[in-house]
Amino acid sequence: MGNPGKYLHVFAALAGLVISLGAFDAPAAEPRKDLVLKGDAKCTRCHDADSEFPVLAIGRTRHGTQADGRTPTCTSCHGESEKHVNKPEGAKERLKPDVLYRGAGASGIEARNEACLTCHRTDTKRSHWEGSTHATNDVGCTSCHQVHASHDKVRDKLTQSEVCFACHKEQRTQVAKPSHHPIPEGKMGCSDCHNPHGSVGPKLMKRDSVNETCYTCHMEKRGPFVHVHEPVAEDCSNCHNPHGTTAESLLKARPPFLCHQCHTPHGGNVAQIAGQGQPSSMLSATTSGKSGINYTMARGCVNCHTQVHGTNNPSTTNPTPQFNFR
Amino acid sequence: MTSFDRNSSRRNAVLLAALALALPELVHAEDDATDAAQPAGEVRVGAALASGDPRSRALFGQYNGLRDDDFNLLLDIDYAKRDDATGTWTRFTGRNLGLDSRELRAQWDRQGDWKVFGEYWSLTRAYPRTINTSLQNPGSTTPTVSLLATRGTGTNLDLQTERKRATVGGEKWFGPHLMLEASYTAENKDGSRMFGRGFTCPSGAAPAPTCTTMASGVNQWALLMLPEPINSTTQQFDAKLTWIGERFSVTTGYYGSFYDNENGALVPTVTGNLNNPLGNPMGVGGGVPLTAGLRNILQLPMALPPDNQAHQYFLSGNYNITPSTRATFKYAYTHATQKDDFLASGLTGAPAGITNYGGVVDTTLAQAGLTARPLPKLSVLASFRYEDREDKSPLALYNIEGANRFTNGTYSLKKTAGKLEGTYQLPQGVRATVGFDYEALDRGQYSSPECIDLGDGPCVGDSVAGITALRAKTDETTWRAGLRRAMGENVSGSITYSHADRDGSPWLKPAALPATGVTEVSDAAIYNRTGIFPSIFMNRKRDKVRAQADWSAAEGLSVQFTAEGGTDEYSAPTEKGLSKTGMRLYGIDVGYALSEAWMLNAYYSYSEQTLDVAHSTGYIAKLKDRNSTAGFTLKGQVSKALQVGADLYYVNDRNIYDQSLDSAASAANVAFLAQSGGLPDVTFRDVRLKLFATYAVNKSNDVRFDLIHDHQRLNEWTWGSDASPFAFSDNTTVSLQPNQRVTLVGVSWVYRFR
Repeated sequence: MGNPGKYLHVFAALAGLVISLGAFDAPAAEPRKDLVLKGDAKCTRCHDADSEFPVLAIGRTRHGTQADGRTPTCTSCHGESEKHVNKPEGAKERLKPDVLYRGAGASGIEARNEACLTCHRTDTKRSHWEGSTHATNDVGCTSCHQVHASHDKVRDKLTQSEVCFACHKEQRTQVAKPSHHPIPEGKMGCSDCHNPHGSVGPKLMKRDSVNETCYTCHMEKRGPFVHVHEPVAEDCSNCHNPHGTTAESLLKARPPFLCHQCHTPHGGNVAQIAGQGQPSSMLSATTSGKSGINYTMARGCVNCHTQVHGTNNPSTTNPTPQFNFR
Repeated sequence: MTSFDRNSSRRNAVLLAALALALPELVHAEDDATDAAQPAGEVRVGAALASGDPRSRALFGQYNGLRDDDFNLLLDIDYAKRDDATGTWTRFTGRNLGLDSRELRAQWDRQGDWKVFGEYWSLTRAYPRTINTSLQNPGSTTPTVSLLATRGTGTNLDLQTERKRATVGGEKWFGPHLMLEASYTAENKDGSRMFGRGFTCPSGAAPAPTCTTMASGVNQWALLMLPEPINSTTQQFDAKLTWIGERFSVTTGYYGSFYDNENGALVPTVTGNLNNPLGNPMGVGGGVPLTAGLRNILQLPMALPPDNQAHQYFLSGNYNITPSTRATFKYAYTHATQKDDFLASGLTGAPAGITNYGGVVDTTLAQAGLTARPLPKLSVLASFRYEDREDKSPLALYNIEGANRFTNGTYSLKKTAGKLEGTYQLPQGVRATVGFDYEALDRGQYSSPECIDLGDGPCVGDSVAGITALRAKTDETTWRAGLRRAMGENVSGSITYSHADRDGSPWLKPAALPATGVTEVSDAAIYNRTGIFPSIFMNRKRDKVRAQADWSAAEGLSVQFTAEGGTDEYSAPTEKGLSKTGMRLYGIDVGYALSEAWMLNAYYSYSEQTLDVAHSTGYIAKLKDRNSTAGFTLKGQVSKALQVGADLYYVNDRNIYDQSLDSAASAANVAFLAQSGGLPDVTFRDVRLKLFATYAVNKSNDVRFDLIHDHQRLNEWTWGSDASPFAFSDNTTVSLQPNQRVTLVGVSWVYRFR
């Protein structure tokens, strides 16, 4: 066997290993330590990394920043949940936590939201949550947010719209059309225009009105102009569907049909396109440009009435800028 | 074994023993906890190869920066570090750094104390259509138009706009109650976009002989494609100071926004002759070459968006009157101005003594809301909103059309809106909601137009042309009712219905020229069978219904059904104009956890949108958009190291342009529609397959493989077809490859770190 001393260190190592393995089953000699949140030991003894309901990733989030004294504990959101922590004798199944956010047995919407609003109600972006469309339709904070996940999908504009489309199906079909804001490409999120936590504007607009919201990116449309186009100044959504259209420029309908909702068509010819065999009365070497083709094709009515959002041309003489919006 | 080896071996053994003693805690708690508690970061580096050419990637690559180049660098970074002792975060994210549309953000903050951040964001929007033209200096303020001898033989021009935005900002807490937030954003937008001009001689605005050939009396027209030159900067400054008390929070702040356009006017030069409507040079087959009159009009300056700015001051917040009674409020005042110098912008001919528009719009907003629970089962909501947009821009005589003289038009608007809503908890888990909404718009200036008294005739006001009537006020009332019910733990549903009625003040008839202003008349007096009453003023009945059901059909299986529909019916003293719009949508979404490792999601929705509009010249258009959208996503863990996913996405959209004629239609229109069959349908189809696989080489390194195949087909007539293109008067044409296939293959390496 040679020198048995040389195996002492191996023995010592194995002994340590055996002792340590025994510790798996041994009762904890000391109270368990908190892992990611203050006072989480009573939860994380079960909800560890291998739990069916993993929760530890909250440690990576802002809620897991223990140096910030405002951050929550498990129980500040889920309640003390004594009967969940300590299964009552005779109970067949462990009871749910006092406040449960998802799945069967989820708590009422008010209990769920109150846990968040206790701290977040005073945030400036959430000051108008009360009475907002989402609040009155029982949308829960956790309907959209994944509090325990290190990556909350709804806070990333690349994935945000997936969350919103869970309810807003019509908008999901619209952003798929060829003329759209760059939402599917992840360059914009729904929250670039909407404040889902409540706002003073209509449709939860981020700014105080539809137009003010649009102007944050399209400020050139604001004017005021020498010659105003009134429906434009009133509401961009009179003509545009911001979520997507087949017609160019997010127009709700292709010109001339869009324009004809308010204006008399001139020329007297039915909307038509090139190559339809127009008779000479409609198309000839000297036919008026007001033929149907010129207000149906290309940019439609805007072929001539160019600055349809308003023009600042001050020229007082014919042909007037107001007439052509040039 | 050397001494060193022996010592080393012993040392290792001791370490092993010590390590082993600590193993349970390390394995079961601290390793996991440390991993879980520490923000993670990753870098992704790779390359993507795209098939085809920019034309075949035009729709796919509108915004994603993948249109122009076959080979693209994939580079993303996400770094987050937290100092647990102080709660200080350092975060750096970069996305699409190898593409035109890249974004970066760096943030440093001590949570609950202070934060500073900086962002850079860029977006290139590539106009998907290609222009073939002989235009010189396109995208400048001085393009030169010359007739292209043969269509399609000019230079291909791809328009694009590029936005580059930088933001810096921060926040600071002063104790637990006071917080200051501020941010500054500057964005430059550069490039050019589709634009143009057209004119027909003669017109009310340019009566003969202004642009009609005096000698022959020939009328001409021309349409030009002139890209709008874009080079502008916007700046936004936002500052907020918030006080947070025990029961309330109040924020006061300033929001300033500034628009500065480097380009004032577009002044084209038209050389030589242009084409007539048949696509031949003017004069061929009749008439004369381009007249001096029309040429001069085509060369007139076109105003580009003027510099403008707005300053908003606001106060907003909320107050918890009791734990269940809460109030919200906001007051905002905005002062917007536009005083861009006309001459400096290249715009001449302003009224004498006026150097800029002097535009001023002041907007006042006031809002208050109250939510309460007067009874345990009853919650109520009341809100009020008032917005007064007052256009204080000075009036001047901006239009002189022979004997007709008009001022500029200003546009003031007052909006008042209110809402009352109550929700009651009924037995069996049913919640019932009843609501009433009110909105009133007052466009006061129509009823009492301001005017200028020049002392040489009637008071002169704004021009109102091309429409039959105006309306000073409209008001809309909406009733809503809804039920929501959770039926057991597995099924929940909701249904809501609303009906709205919009009415308004008496119609106002524009005065016959040369007089200006409007006169109030009854419906009977203003009735005009072929009159056009703008849709925003018309009476409207709106009905909407929406139902949704969520069903947890089995463990891991959830199904959601959605159905919604609505109609708007418009009416005015006419038989023409907008008469009806409608929409309906049906959808189903399914989520199924096949196992702990595999997840499947699928959805399908069908929708229709309709619009009926009838025109004074006797034709009726019934537009219908039918859309089917479907998606299928499968993600799973094949093994501990291998994760895969597939995403299939399908859109089928058809726009139908159904035109018919009434008895007022001309014989020429009747004959033409009969032989042409009207406008063809516009169809769009997109099938996109995305596949990915991620293989974890070890704990810190992944290899990721991506494949995207996209097939889009857009068949439309806006710019014509190869056989019958729409051609501008200089033979410029615009085209889009209707059938576009792209395959993108990407391979990247992902390194995760802590």
